[in-house]
Amino acid sequence: MSSGRFLTQGQKTRNLIEVGGRRVEKIKQNPFVKKVGFNRIVLCFVLILMYGLFCVLTQGKFAGMQRILSALNYAYFLGFLSLGVTFVIATGGIDFSIGPVMFCCALVSGYSLTAHGVPMGAAIVISIFVGLAFGLFNGYLVAYWSVPSFITSMASMNIAKGLASVFTKTQSVSWPQATAEGGWYRSLIKVGDIPVGLFIFLAVAIVCAIILNKTKIGRYILSLGSNKEAVRLSGVDVKKWEMISYIICGLLVGIGAIFYVAAYTTVQPGYGDQYNNEAIAGCVMGGTSMAGGLASISGTVIGVFIIALLQEGILALGFTKDYQLIITGVIVIAAVFSDVVARRRKN
Amino acid sequence: MGEVILTMKDIDKSFPGVHALDHVDLEVRKGEVLALMGENGAGKSTLMKVLTGIYKKDSGTITYEGKEVEFSNTREAQDAGIVIVHQELNMLSHLTVAQNIFIGREFKKGIRIDDKKMNEEAKKLFDRMNIDIDPREMMGRLTVGKQQMCEIAKAISHDAKVIIFDEPSAALTETEIQELFKIIRDLKEKGIGIVYISHRMDEIKVITDRVTVMRDGSYVGTLITKDSTKDDIINMMVGRVIYEDPKTESTVPKDAPVVLKVEHLNAGKMVQDVSFELHKGEILGFSGLMGAGRTETARALFGADPMDSGDIYVNGKKVTIKSPQDAVKCGIGYLSEDRKRYGIVVQKSVAENTTMATLEQYMKGIFIDKKKEKEVAEKYVESLATKTPDVDQLVVNLSGGNQQKVVIAKWLTRDCDILIFDEPTRGIDVGAKNEIYKLMNSLAAEGKAIIMISSEMTEILRMSDRIVVMCEGKKTGELDISEATQENIMNMATREIE
Repeated sequence: MSSGRFLTQGQKTRNLIEVGGRRVEKIKQNPFVKKVGFNRIVLCFVLILMYGLFCVLTQGKFAGMQRILSALNYAYFLGFLSLGVTFVIATGGIDFSIGPVMFCCALVSGYSLTAHGVPMGAAIVISIFVGLAFGLFNGYLVAYWSVPSFITSMASMNIAKGLASVFTKTQSVSWPQATAEGGWYRSLIKVGDIPVGLFIFLAVAIVCAIILNKTKIGRYILSLGSNKEAVRLSGVDVKKWEMISYIICGLLVGIGAIFYVAAYTTVQPGYGDQYNNEAIAGCVMGGTSMAGGLASISGTVIGVFIIALLQEGILALGFTKDYQLIITGVIVIAAVFSDVVARRRKN
Repeated sequence: MGEVILTMKDIDKSFPGVHALDHVDLEVRKGEVLALMGENGAGKSTLMKVLTGIYKKDSGTITYEGKEVEFSNTREAQDAGIVIVHQELNMLSHLTVAQNIFIGREFKKGIRIDDKKMNEEAKKLFDRMNIDIDPREMMGRLTVGKQQMCEIAKAISHDAKVIIFDEPSAALTETEIQELFKIIRDLKEKGIGIVYISHRMDEIKVITDRVTVMRDGSYVGTLITKDSTKDDIINMMVGRVIYEDPKTESTVPKDAPVVLKVEHLNAGKMVQDVSFELHKGEILGFSGLMGAGRTETARALFGADPMDSGDIYVNGKKVTIKSPQDAVKCGIGYLSEDRKRYGIVVQKSVAENTTMATLEQYMKGIFIDKKKEKEVAEKYVESLATKTPDVDQLVVNLSGGNQQKVVIAKWLTRDCDILIFDEPTRGIDVGAKNEIYKLMNSLAAEGKAIIMISSEMTEILRMSDRIVVMCEGKKTGELDISEATQENIMNMATREIE
């Protein structure tokens, strides 16, 4: 029965997968791999391979510093969104409002800056404040009123868009140039050729990782994402901690808005949806489970770099932005699907 | 004794790191009930999953009706006549009984589903089984016991020749178990081979013909039920005799202070005007049938569900409990009947679960002091004899009994004076059960007050100092252990129904 000669093609393939699976299992048991995380190592390889591929496909044009800086510009603001949504997804929730809320932050604060003449420092505070307000709003509805996060964030996405349009009278807002008065905010991402933004982003990511892994906030967020009822019955105020995850998200979205304008200066009301998908893709690709309870900040960081590089690469290859939309869509599905498969296998 | 219908020989199955089945044999004959026993993790379920094609065996042979077979999924096994009645019910509560029974193979009239014919067929099935269920009733409206009957009806409707019952009685009341036994005897007479998986020794004695025992993934042996004693079987399962006699007298002094007093507690339909007192150092047993409102009482008392009215006094002081947080502040801990859903966070480690209720004690500034957390967890792993490679192990990888110990540790770190154990040994094997009992006794001896909800009469009689009996949401009696017997408890537990 088990003689190899009589195996059907299907059985052969199945055997091959089984052997491959066992080999991967072995690699996963390696202490170094275990410590860093198998998933993250694979992602790093993907990142490097992708970069190499783009360099080859563009006949070396992609290798220049300019492209990298441009990709980084994209990675900063997207990174903040992605870090933020990681906290929400860790609770088992979702936030589809991050992109438009980021735009709302940038528009409201930018309009205050250009039309009402508030100083740059205050504008930044306003942006963060608007982000926090949306986070609080989403979090309160989800945690205390038990409105599904999917619905809440869909609704607040529209609220953010509408609010920004009303506030700016449907005008796009241009933040000051680097040389103009208050232009110092642009050095948040770059001074000369030094990518300051990268250091700030990584520093914030480290703080996020510490919060998620070393503090009570992170412990409770991850635990309630895994089994909310068990945590509640342990006498933990789960509603509070669930809301806090959305507030953290809002805060990071508010910061992300500043990095968006520091890179591109101009914001238009009514947009921002596509960044939802990209930020969620970065996060889920990094190993954060849509089912909640499992999250990785370092994974999110690498995931975001992959998305940003992809977007830059697609443009460099001469494709339109539409292809970017298709590809991120596929990535989200693939990442979530692999998470589903992984969980099914565990059960 | 009938002829052999199913033989599993030398079945071997390994998972990464675990040798789940080590050359196991099993033989089922026509018209007999074979008990499959073993502690949790002994490999009973794995063996059944290999049989029905959920897992692929590594080696060994399965012979069914004289032919060697290998099913690649449950559907194939079903079509061949081997059916499992699962412990967890796989029913759709918003469909009718008949729709559930014939799901996936509905009778059709053109493109329409022929509900009338399905109802008729279901009725015929129930008549054959001699039970009274309306096929048109919504599944969700039936009691758990009736739902189980439907599951069995579904199995029979497949024209099964071998039926596997996986702990069928776990959720049934005494009367329902009797009904189930009647059905099983009936099936037996029709020449169907039955495999009966259960932890309950009394049932095994009553209903089965032979007992096959497994331990740690290997086959230990097979006994003829009527020629063997309880102790014989248990010895084969664990290698030692452990059953103890019931408690006859309470050791709690009559004047022990009242630590918890509940007066006129009301919460929905399931908790009506419940009052009781709990003394220091006492184990107060809550007995009753499934659905008597015991768990609901505990949950309302703990603030897990809202209470409508009633007064709660802790150490003589009136307290308001609106949430589990309030209850925990009052020194009450609750160990749920459903560990997986309400007790543990499976994706978290033993250490993280242990400190879940007391995290603020292990903070160093804003950071969690993981070293201290680990030390505490290790302390409890040692004192409760929890079997785990280390405290970083994810709880999902522990057996039921050890998971329960982690939950107990969680409440011990909190230093709760009042502990509510809701079905503390459900789904736990005999050996670990005994350890949990010992633990509860020593906790009581230390002066903690314990409420123990249990559906197992032997457990109630063995552990309790006093017994509260409930029926349909009302307290129907209270007994001192010295006056309690199975009979008078059962009387009280069915008082409202009769």
